[in-house]
Amino acid sequence: MEHFKIENLNFSYPTSKDRKSLDNVSLKIEKGEYIVLCGKSGSGKTTLLRHLKTVLTPYGKRSGEIYFNGTALKAVDNREQSSKIGYVMQNPDDQIVTDKVWHELAFGLESLGCDQKTMRSRVAEMACYFGIQDWFHRDVAVLSGGQKQLLNLASIMAMQPEILILDEPTSQLDPIAASDFLNTVRKINTELGTTVIITEHRLEDVFPYADRAVVMDSGKIIADDTPRNIGKLLHEQNNPMFTAMPTPVRVFFGANGSGDCPLTVREGRAWLNKEFENEPEIKEIPYENIDEDIENPALSLKELWFRYEKDAPDILRGVSLEIPKGSISAIVGGNGAGKSTTLKTICGICKPYRGKIKVFGKPVNKFKSGELFRNCISMLPQDPKSLFVKKTVKEELEEMTKDKNQINDIAQICQITELLDSHPYDLSGGEQQRAALAKVLLTEPKILLLDEPTKGMDSFFKETFASVLFSLKNQGITILMVSHDVEFCAKHADRVSMFFDGQVLTTDTPQKFFGGNSFYTTAANRMGKHIFINAVTAENVVELYCKNKGGAI
Amino acid sequence: MKQDAFSKLHPAVNLLFFIGAVCFGVLLQHPIYLLAGIFASGVYYFSLNGRKAIKTILLMIPLFIFITLFNPIVNTRGVTVLFTYLDRPYTLEALVYGIAVAATFVLMILWLGCYGKVLTGDKFICLFGNLAPSLSLLLVMVFRMIPSLLQKAKQIIGVRSSIGKGIEEKSSIKNKLNSGMTVIGVLTSWALEGSITTSDSMRSRGYGTAKRTSFMVYKMTKTDWLFGVVMLILLGIVIFFAANGGMNAEFLPERNITPIKGINTIGFIVYLGYLLIPTILNIKEVIQWNISKSKI
Repeated sequence: MEHFKIENLNFSYPTSKDRKSLDNVSLKIEKGEYIVLCGKSGSGKTTLLRHLKTVLTPYGKRSGEIYFNGTALKAVDNREQSSKIGYVMQNPDDQIVTDKVWHELAFGLESLGCDQKTMRSRVAEMACYFGIQDWFHRDVAVLSGGQKQLLNLASIMAMQPEILILDEPTSQLDPIAASDFLNTVRKINTELGTTVIITEHRLEDVFPYADRAVVMDSGKIIADDTPRNIGKLLHEQNNPMFTAMPTPVRVFFGANGSGDCPLTVREGRAWLNKEFENEPEIKEIPYENIDEDIENPALSLKELWFRYEKDAPDILRGVSLEIPKGSISAIVGGNGAGKSTTLKTICGICKPYRGKIKVFGKPVNKFKSGELFRNCISMLPQDPKSLFVKKTVKEELEEMTKDKNQINDIAQICQITELLDSHPYDLSGGEQQRAALAKVLLTEPKILLLDEPTKGMDSFFKETFASVLFSLKNQGITILMVSHDVEFCAKHADRVSMFFDGQVLTTDTPQKFFGGNSFYTTAANRMGKHIFINAVTAENVVELYCKNKGGAI
Repeated sequence: MKQDAFSKLHPAVNLLFFIGAVCFGVLLQHPIYLLAGIFASGVYYFSLNGRKAIKTILLMIPLFIFITLFNPIVNTRGVTVLFTYLDRPYTLEALVYGIAVAATFVLMILWLGCYGKVLTGDKFICLFGNLAPSLSLLLVMVFRMIPSLLQKAKQIIGVRSSIGKGIEEKSSIKNKLNSGMTVIGVLTSWALEGSITTSDSMRSRGYGTAKRTSFMVYKMTKTDWLFGVVMLILLGIVIFFAANGGMNAEFLPERNITPIKGINTIGFIVYLGYLLIPTILNIKEVIQWNISKSKI
């Protein structure tokens, strides 16, 4: 018997008259399966997932039937659904109800009215399984994003669900925490046999382990097959979702490979080995060296030292960095290393206790108050929501300037013209990011600082966002971003700097920088490193592959 | 955070202690008993807060003096008139009574200070969670909201200043007010949006499907029972002596203070012993630790 059976499900939200958010969706989910649901943002993934639990089902017009373990879901009482169907949402922070870790773990059990003894053993079990013992007594306020999301998962698992539904659980996490989280989910699936349905942008971490991948587009299921076949299908259809596939898949089809499609870096390496039994002639793609001495840098940081509190350890320990005019520079590095703090010192939110910051050769403290942020520097914060103060995107932009033409120009550059009348909170993550960017750009900055700009964006939006950045660069704006997203930096930055131990260690072109790394690098580089010297993006690998094989095969 | 030995006992035992200490601190106006109360609460307060405590304790002195001197102004009863002002007498009895009131006040503050350190919010909720589950959940959620709102407010202010919309020192009060209102506005809509997710998360974890129970992270151990019972016995003895007039003290209109003599000494010793339980426990732990360390 199937765990879930969805039959001809149609749904439309009351606000969108004719547009169906779910269009004749039929899907069967077997017990113990691991299913990845993918699709662009707005394709109806979340809407579908929310239908799998009655209390979360959105309000609107609906037809079709959903069966859970053979009975209609509507007929399954709330209590049973609560414990048997676990649902993890996107935002790690807002899902947490109580103020202590132990209390949060017990929350579900308390709601179900379990007795002390059961609660005690279940909570202990979960804390051990998820490695929470060490922070069991802490306040949730002091946890990192990754810990919070793990806590959400654990508190749901404490209710011993049969099925686990995860709606983009890692979109707010950094790559390492995300990968930890997804490994835990996989562990739950393989060790406990819990059925898993997950939507995820970071397909590299889930695709190889999934039993099935289901692709959605404008409310329809357009593909439902094993991950290996899905890549082929999307490539043949020339579907934009193909850009979201893991690197090995994209390289394989980009190079028109034959045989079984590789899903992991390991398989990708094996495939390349087979293709290049003799060493290829061309092993490098051409690249430019960067100038060590930058004339008139747009931004120069010299020996910055900073700590948050008098007794706290130093976060910045002598940061020195020069950014040339009109370039896209990226700072990469681990979590909590001080990357965001560096941006904050440039903006004056944090004041370094030693060191100098010069903007276009002029020390920051020589700027009069406010002058620095007019036509000079602007920062796009990590959380775009902190920028929104009005009811529509248009009003947001009007807060910055009265000039209608300027607003329209910027809206066009950021590709948000159609969104101007929406409420900023109604936009998707990627759209919010672009609306926030538009607002920031209205200060007409010459230097634009971006703090984790690709957080929560799907691969499709990332490309759109990158094109926005390029058009800004062409207007002569200097861009400095800090990011965890090595793939994005490798593809779009001119210079990449490594941040470690409170300092900027090295700066180089992405090709040289990632080409020289073996661990902290892109999947494409890890896959092709043994054959090509500096191929760091899927496109690079494909390019070299085709050159060596004599053009396209 | 490091906990002292007494805080490690079950919250119910902690609460019982403070109820006893505060009630008798207020009810017993006998100077010697008040002195004992101040001494015990001061020592425990110091052991909880370390060097920071000295500042608080020093602050108590002007407060003490103020209350003492102020009492005779509002209270004119008493037989020994020290002097008169504006046709009102300033009496010795009222002054002495002032000392007692001031002492009560000071020891209350000290005990409550200790209480705050020992019985933190979550322990309190743990104790009363079963009596009023929804109320206690509400409190817990408020505890969760406050730090997260403060952090968000800070974030918003920083972000706004980095697009040139910050609150500047030079800007007019009207502008400052406007900026403040904007921040509060953003904070509200942000919090409201978050609360939708929170309520989804609560309902999806079965909130409201059954009568809520409360998870007790603390468990009554044998030691806890022992301490609880000992405290009750000590309190019983104190009540016995108090009821028999062994601790009476009257100030107005005439001073009439029962001396601590003979059988009444037992009452006093028991009372002092009760108040010193946390301190004794702490000292015992330090000694024990040092002995076991020296054996290593």
